[in-house]
Order: sequence, then structure tokens, then C-alpha cells
Amino acid sequence: MTRLACFYVPMFVLAARLRSEPDLLNEAVGIVEGSGNNAHIVAATRRARKKGIQPGLSLSQARALLPKLIARGRDSECERTAQEALLEVAETFSPRVEDSGEGLVFLDVTGMERHFADDELTTDPDSRQPTADSPNPELRLARAAIRACDVISLPARVGIAGSKLAARVAAELPKSPTVVAPGEEATFLAPLPLTRLSPELEAAAMLQRFGLSSIGDLARLPESEIASRLGEVGRELHWAARGIDPRPLMPRPLPPEFREGMELEWPLVALEPFLFIANAALDRLSKRMEIQGFACKRLEFTLTLDPDGYDARGIDLPAPTRDVKTMLTLMRLDLEKTPPGAPVVGFSFVAHPDRPRRAQLSLFGPSAVSPEKLATTIAKLISILGDGRVGMPMTVDGHLPERYAINVFSPPSPPDIRRTPARARGLLAVRTFRPPIPIEVTTREAEGDDVQIASIRSLAEAVSDSRPPTPNSRNRIEVGTKIDIAGTVRICSGPWRIEEGWWADRPDIREYWDVELERGGVYRVFRGGATEWFVDARYEM
Amino acid sequence: MAVLARCPDSQFPLLEAPPIPKPLIPPRVVESGQCEALRNLRASLEASIATKLTSGSELVRAVARQRREEILPTTIAPLDALLGGGLARGKMTEIAGRGTRFSIVIATLAASTSIGEAAALIDAGDSFDPQLAESAGVELQRLLWVRPRTMKETVTAAEMIGATGFQLVIIDMGSRRPPGRRVPDATWVRLARVAESHGATILVSAPYALTGTTSEAMILAHAPRPRWLGRGNAPRVLAGIETRLKLEKHRRLRPGQSTTVFFQCEEAVGCQLSAVGSMVIPRADTRQPRATAKAS
Repeated sequence: MTRLACFYVPMFVLAARLRSEPDLLNEAVGIVEGSGNNAHIVAATRRARKKGIQPGLSLSQARALLPKLIARGRDSECERTAQEALLEVAETFSPRVEDSGEGLVFLDVTGMERHFADDELTTDPDSRQPTADSPNPELRLARAAIRACDVISLPARVGIAGSKLAARVAAELPKSPTVVAPGEEATFLAPLPLTRLSPELEAAAMLQRFGLSSIGDLARLPESEIASRLGEVGRELHWAARGIDPRPLMPRPLPPEFREGMELEWPLVALEPFLFIANAALDRLSKRMEIQGFACKRLEFTLTLDPDGYDARGIDLPAPTRDVKTMLTLMRLDLEKTPPGAPVVGFSFVAHPDRPRRAQLSLFGPSAVSPEKLATTIAKLISILGDGRVGMPMTVDGHLPERYAINVFSPPSPPDIRRTPARARGLLAVRTFRPPIPIEVTTREAEGDDVQIASIRSLAEAVSDSRPPTPNSRNRIEVGTKIDIAGTVRICSGPWRIEEGWWADRPDIREYWDVELERGGVYRVFRGGATEWFVDARYEM
Repeated sequence: MAVLARCPDSQFPLLEAPPIPKPLIPPRVVESGQCEALRNLRASLEASIATKLTSGSELVRAVARQRREEILPTTIAPLDALLGGGLARGKMTEIAGRGTRFSIVIATLAASTSIGEAAALIDAGDSFDPQLAESAGVELQRLLWVRPRTMKETVTAAEMIGATGFQLVIIDMGSRRPPGRRVPDATWVRLARVAESHGATILVSAPYALTGTTSEAMILAHAPRPRWLGRGNAPRVLAGIETRLKLEKHRRLRPGQSTTVFFQCEEAVGCQLSAVGSMVIPRADTRQPRATAKAS
């Protein structure tokens, strides 16, 4: 027998707004729909309701009752992200989830109660107390669902029954969670008022005028009589009263991305207030990804500008991460680099998920670097140093010695048992100059056609930093500048010829020499063309 | 006019014996952290068996302590002999001077990555050659290569990487002294603390001494001498460079010892080294360390 659960968030419009602005939780807040004279209250917090603020009041009436009422407009972005968060929580309980919109979610929990059969699985110490209903695994499932919804700041109610209708009615009851035993749907519905069936239908009000007060009264009537008086609507209502709901569950496909966003009450012109709000949104995004076991691989954010226009950007993270601080730092750096140029009145974050890196730690081998920490560190380093400056070095096929590549750093797992270090080969290292330094060379004739170098002198002071100057560059101490190479050659060794790309029109042909200067220092010198000479490395001295 | 006042009790009389200070309250006995069940179990066992009994927390602490106390060999025998076995883990070691510092850096990277550790090279001079490093035995997959441009970026990157959990962090400042201001001494203190708190081995290679008193040991690499194969008019081939290493400072060993190391060119690896006139075989210095001032 199919068992369905329903997650229902009462006053969803208000709950979605309070999820985005948790500071308003204990305030008298009213959610307003419409503008100008048409502005009216659609939902209000308990504190506002105590003062007489009810849905349907115009904003001016509400202000007359409660001058300190905090009015917030309906925010479709908040509602959409809250609905997505609710769906994602449901997906942690079942893979088959139906999105019914506006804080209503159905999920198939057939057989899922076996995961909640043991008290040890529940994390809430209150639920471990021996109570009359504690043996019911479905009740434990429902309580776990309510706790999961609390984590994402949505006060959901949960109902479990054999049909969607009964599950929804059970979820709408104030005492949550409610579990309807299998086959007991009609019995459960019978004492309830008719408005619980479908409050939006006028037929229910008409039936009340007929003298039918409860669902059970309607179920006891003949179906044909109801159908002849109320038509197809009446027939469906009668089925519903008997607990029959022919609508199947329609599972939604898994979303490829996670979204969070908000429309702001007033335009923001400074970065810090925006980052304050963005921090909360990214925190919600991170929690949602954590629930699904994902991490963010790419973060896209769209800023709605005042009075019109959008600014869309994207940040590629070097490794999947859920660290809010890292994402916020990268966002700050991006916005500082190229400001949007107009006040921001709304934003939308889209996180493209990926599986986070996992590592198994070893007791006896070398300790592995935490993938989460590593991803964060690399992201911060790239934001400080720029692309192409952090990563794993790679060799590139070819004969030119200055060739190299840099890739994403993803170290393999360390061995389980510590190995003995390999014996050093004792190779002499060279310090490569990037780019090669142009030099002036005096040559002398040697035996045969070979050329021997008599002296060298650098043509200009080489600067290894090719980055364009920035406003903060005056505070930097440049490393590796002022490479001044000059002197008489004491010993010259060479040439060795290198040819690459012989099939091309202009193959790269070089002749290399090793030279030791009288004043000290051994350099690697090459001739690239007829008269172009360079130093591309210095033997470590 | 004189104002009368009482003599404060805190003044010690010159002619009388000072009062005997009252003993302070003895400190509370610190529990060893053993749980009651473990103590009872040990008490019930024979002594020979009880000494071999180890709880899980004790085992974890012992493994962590062992890792901190162990050393990372550079696999250059003369240098390891100078440093008492290798680079101390959880400490900062410095190599300064004009000798073959970069060759030592590459050899240390090869040693660390060959045992499966994650290593990072902060290459301030941007002079790292991946092809040569791979030939020297460095597992490039375990090496994070960072190329900062400024001194500030260099030390910032080192702090971040050291705190991430890398077992070896090497800072290479290149072959020239960076112009402009030096970084504050507090930077090296912070870096030493990062190494200690995360158990990382930090090696600083710079043309001049940078770390001051914060490093565990300081090696001076000096007097580099290139060696060439071939004599007279015969074609020459660079065989390698020998350099002298001197232990300038060490917190546990007596400084002043020196040794000579020789690094060979890759092209000359297969050549007969005997062809070189005065080739130096790597060996430890024959001088005996001076006797310490105390009886120990």
C-alpha cells in the first residue's frame, strides 16, 4: 500500500520572508500584496495578529490598528527559494517528491519508515522518551522531517496517509505531525469540517447550507445524488470525503542547480551592506547543498540594478566547496575589481553543484590534506595571486626547456603506510628566467665552425613581474627584479642544438652554451636567431 | 609640617630576618586523562601485560607526538648529518647564501613527495622547472606550486598553506635580494607558530638570512665552485657545482660544523667523474666538534 507524506508550511508567504530576514521573527510583520490603495495584508506574524492584523486588511487599516507594523512586500524570489529548500529537504527522505507549490510538497514514503524503526536513529532526545506513540516508525519519520525543516528555517507541518488528500488534510491540522493509519483515511476525515476538504471550492459552503457540517455527513450520502445536484465537482468531493484520491504522485526531476535570491526593500549603493545580505543567502545555499551532499563548483550571481538592467557574473571555484567565507571573499574581490556601476535592488545566486572531494585518513601513513580546507585555501590563493599562479606543475612534451603547464592541484591519497624516502639523485638545479633575458654577446672563433662566447652583457634590466600595475602596486616589494648579468666568460661549453617544429615554416632552432663568468655565476645561454641571444637559466650558485 | 603615617608592612626591615613566607596552597593534582575503567583494567592485569595495554586516545596522542618529533630527511647525506638527521617537523629551517640552495630544495621536495606527503613550493623567484624536478624524483602530483610576485604575497601564501595541513612548505626567495622593505620579524614568528601548531616542516631558502631567531636551524650555503669535465683545449662539459654548507645555528646541536656537497648536472650523470681534476666526494667534515663548555 502506498504511503504518502505531505509537508505543509502554513502562511508560506510570511515564512519565506522570515527565512530570508530572521531578525524579524519576533517583530510585528505584515506581508503586503499590491501597491498604493490596493495594498493589502496577506499574512502577518503572531505578534501582529494579536493586535488585530488579519489577512485582507488594507495597509492603511493595518497601520491604523498598529502604527509600528513592519510591512514587507511579497518577494517571489524568497518564496521560490524557500520552496526549493523545502523540496530539497523532502528529497532527503524520499527520491519521489512532487512540487505542489506555495509551501506544499508531497513525497512517497512507502517503506521509508524502516529507516526510522530504531530509536537510536533519531537525534532528538525528546523523541527517545518512552511515550504511547513512540513505537510508530512513521511518526518518527514525520518528526525527523519537521526537525529537518526547522534547520532551513521553515516551520513545516507533516501529515502521512494513504492518499494525497488525506495527507494534506492531516498536515494542515494544528497538531503536527499526524499519521493516518493505512485504510483509516475515511474514518480520519469523517469528523472534520467540510472546509478541510477543499476550502477554495464554493461547493463546500453550499453543502454546509444543505445542513452537512462534517465530511462524514457527506460521505454517507449516495454518490449519484450528489453528482446529480453538484455535477462533476460534487462527485469528486464525494470521493474525497470517502478518502478516495485518484491523483497519482507526480515526482519532479532533480534540479541541476541551487538558487537563492532576494528583492531588496531599498537600493544598496555600498558593498558592505550587500555582502552582509549576501552572506546570509550564501549560508542558506550552503546548508541546502549540505543536505543534498553537494558542494559548489561554480557560483553565478545576477544583480538587479536600479532603475533597470542586470549584472551577471560567474565565479569558477578551483574545487567544490561549501565554505561561505570563501565564496563571499571571492565575490567581494570580483565586485571590488569591477563594480556594478549602479545601485543594487535585488540579487540571485545560482550554485552549480558537484560532489565534494573525499579523503580517507590513515593512522599510520602520512596525513592527508583535508579536501575542504585545500579547496578553500586554493580558492583564496587564486583570488590573491591570480589565475595560473597556483596549481600542480606539469611537464609538456617538447624540447624547449622553458615549457611548463600548471593544472588544478588534486593530490592522490597518501599511502596507507609510510614509505622510505627515495634516495636523492643529487641533480644540479637551474633557476629558470621567465621570460629569457636578452643579452649582448661577444664571440670568438673556435676550432671548426663553432662559436665560443667571450663576454656577455644583459641589454636591459629584466623584470619578472609582467602583471599590469594596480592601485596597490606601490605597496608591493617586487621579487626577482633587476637581473643584471655581465662579465667576461671564463669557461664556455657548447653549443648544443635544439630543433623543434621542423615541419613548420619557421622551426624553433636554438644553440645552447653553458658559460662561467670570471666574476662568478654559471649561466645557460642560447642563440635564437642570427643575432638574438638570451640567457634562460642560471645554474644554482 | 610632617604628616604621620603607618609604616607599610611590605617593607623589609634591614636588621631583622625577613619573615618566612607562608606556603601557598598546593596545586590540584592533574588527572592523567585515563578513564576509571581503564585504570581498573590495568590494576587487574599483570604488570607485564598492563604496560602493553594502550587505550585509543593514548594511541592517537602517541602517533601525533611521534609525528611531531620525527624528522624529514633531505636524502642528502652530508646535509642530514649536519642537521642531526634532517629537517625537524613542526619547525622552521632556513638555508641562506649563494650556494646550491635550489638543488637542496628540489631534493627535499623529492624526499617528501616520494613518501606520499603533500608538499608546497612557494616560488617567489618563479624559477622552478617542472621537467628538471621530475627528473630529480619529485612527484609532481603531490606538489602545489605557488608563484607569488611580492614578499607580502609570499609570506601570506606560506601561512595559509601551512595552516591547511601540508607536511612540507618550502619558501624559495630566488637568487636576488628583494628590493624595498623587509617583512616584519613578527611575520616569521607567526610562520614558526603555524609550523608548530600544524606539524608542518617549513624550509626557507633565501640569499640572505631572513628568519632570525625564529628558525630551528640555519644553514649557510657558500663558496660554490663549478666543476667542468675536460681540460685544456678539449671541449668542456659542466659536471656540476660543489658548495660548502655550514651549520650557523641549531637549537639542539652545536653550530659551526660544515660539510661539502656536490650536485651533478643531469647531462654529466653518466660521465666518468674521475676525469675531473679535483672532484669532491660528498663527505662530512672531518673536524671534530668542539667540546661543550659543561661536562655534558
